[in-house]
Amino acid sequence: MSGHHQLSGTTLRNRTAEAVANDRLRTNVARAVDRFATHRREGLAELDDPDGLRGAARAVKQQVLADLPGVLERFADRVLARGGHVCWAPTAQDARSYVVDVVRRHGATRVAKSKSMATEEIDLNAALESAGAQVVETDLGEWIIQLADETPSHIIAPALHRDRHQIHDLFVDAGGAEPALGTEPTELVGFARGQLRQVFLAAEVGITGANIAVADTGSIVLVTNEGNGRLVTALPPVHIVVLGMERLAADWAQAELLLSLLARSATGQRLSSYTNIVTGTRGDGEVDGATELHVVILDNGRSDLLAGEYHEMLACIRCGACLNVCPVYRQVGGHAYGWVYPGPMGSVLTPLLAHDQPEAAELAGASTLCGACMDACPVQIPLQDLLLSLRRRKAEAAGTAERAAWTAWAAAWSDARLYGATTRLATWGRMVAPLAGRLPVGRSWGVGRTVPRPAEHRFRDRWREGL
Amino acid sequence: MTGTEHGNRERFLAPARTLLSNGIHPNPVHVPPPTPLPSDPVPEARYLNLDQGDLVASFADAVAHAEGVCHVVEDDAPDSLLDRIVAELGERDGTAVVVSDEPEARAVGDRLAARGLAVDRATPATAAAAALGVTSATAAIAATGSVVLDSRRAGGRVASLLPSVHLCVVPVDRLFATPADVLRRLGSAADAPPPSLVVVTGPSRTGDIEQLLTLGAHGPTALHVVLVTDGAIASHPSGPAGG
Repeated sequence: MSGHHQLSGTTLRNRTAEAVANDRLRTNVARAVDRFATHRREGLAELDDPDGLRGAARAVKQQVLADLPGVLERFADRVLARGGHVCWAPTAQDARSYVVDVVRRHGATRVAKSKSMATEEIDLNAALESAGAQVVETDLGEWIIQLADETPSHIIAPALHRDRHQIHDLFVDAGGAEPALGTEPTELVGFARGQLRQVFLAAEVGITGANIAVADTGSIVLVTNEGNGRLVTALPPVHIVVLGMERLAADWAQAELLLSLLARSATGQRLSSYTNIVTGTRGDGEVDGATELHVVILDNGRSDLLAGEYHEMLACIRCGACLNVCPVYRQVGGHAYGWVYPGPMGSVLTPLLAHDQPEAAELAGASTLCGACMDACPVQIPLQDLLLSLRRRKAEAAGTAERAAWTAWAAAWSDARLYGATTRLATWGRMVAPLAGRLPVGRSWGVGRTVPRPAEHRFRDRWREGL
Repeated sequence: MTGTEHGNRERFLAPARTLLSNGIHPNPVHVPPPTPLPSDPVPEARYLNLDQGDLVASFADAVAHAEGVCHVVEDDAPDSLLDRIVAELGERDGTAVVVSDEPEARAVGDRLAARGLAVDRATPATAAAAALGVTSATAAIAATGSVVLDSRRAGGRVASLLPSVHLCVVPVDRLFATPADVLRRLGSAADAPPPSLVVVTGPSRTGDIEQLLTLGAHGPTALHVVLVTDGAIASHPSGPAGG
């Protein structure tokens, strides 16, 4: 699988068919999401009134979004005051150009990255490589998929579609490991630790995202379990942050509330191993830390969503809880979604952010509308409503034939006599009804389904006869 | 020294300002709760695993829950603990020790040096070659079993990051009940947050291989927290313990 997202040139139907046919993938994905979902429930059960906290978190994010320009200005001013540079990047290209420019100015060829969905979204690695820099992902899951030239399949566990044997083989084939390396997780992790330690020590530029940015102090919060976020911000002399403009909290009370829900929702932990709060550059008397800090504030379609029907999607804190409870994601994994963001949140964000790609609209259909995602979301994003709304949007943009068919059907069944006529026709044709799935028109509906056979006697007739 | 601004702030924010000026479209099915005023307090999480009457016990349990090791001691890290550390280090690669600039860490370093270990001030070079890093902490958090590391106090970050074992010595009067007690003060502190403030909860770990917990991904494989009481422990529900 190529290291580029496959939204263009493939269809959702083909990608999901491929995924469903892959037993190993489905086993790996199911195992992973079941664990995450169980841990999340256990983690939240340790809090008093977790749903109350989720409601408060939703209100907090709405407050931030309602004042987003003001919050962003305060944040930028604090970053500047602490010696950091700020780049306002309306488009992906603006962000890429700025980052490449910084890397070039330093003549840097070795870049270490901590996992960041925003940098995936803007295809930053490809731009850096074109500029002559070698970019190494340091999150273990991201390094695995980088070696495999794949894209992430889950926002928290990018390589969850691969089991230990696949990872072992990958390390041997592409990671420089000896074939004698064992397949026990401790050995695999130990190997990665050794390899990536060298990357941290030699890197000239460190690039990260940010889980939350706090306006009051101009701080960036980076949450990891592995410690790569700390290493990428401690060792290279230059640190670049790519920050989605909506990932803000106004103050530390808001940020702390969101952090109290983030780790529990993602992995069930009380807190991740490292909650790393970076404010400005290395202090006097400190032996490590970046001496140069750049914060790139990225729009790339986010501001278009403000105040509109999809406004609440901007509250997402990228915890992955919705992925872990989604029956569709469980069957197909992340690559089937075709872009950076999978699962329910991806099905909403992709049509909104990647709207120039016509295939993106298909993702609104990658849902059973069961609502489990909404119940899991720590900031109570009404995902089910947003998915329905995207479906309506897609239907409104549908072709003439499809719209005509829906209109005709709606008209027919809004009239009692026409309804009676169509149901009587259906009983007459009941023997041939299953063939409907074979006709060109109905084939895509018939695949994987048994077209039901209408009853011999209609219910309304039986009712009239006294049942 | 201020940083420089790139791109156009006003042009970047203009679309957002325009859209927000007409009010926000509320979801008709799942109506959001009322937007709080900036002056409204943000609720704090209450932790069912936290015993407000015995923060020390809660902390020790929480450290263990996070795969760390907690030693609750009076007065000072006991000789027996230091001897055990020396013995364990002998089994790993190298016995070099690095210490942060914090006085509590340097004191432990002196005692380890007296036992024949090579002890150095932590820098990227020395820490990369060391098997043990010793630091103190600016705070500890009972509900989560966390220690909070301040790069300004410690003179840097690498002592707790590069060596495979991290030993953190913290006095009980810096033990707080919840993350809120520590983090919500950050904006109002007389001095701004340090360049790096890390809330450390257990050793480094990954679940990226089949979601099986494996310790020691990039950071330390083992975390030992030494909580030093003064023999008379007082616990306050909302303030630091023993204070």
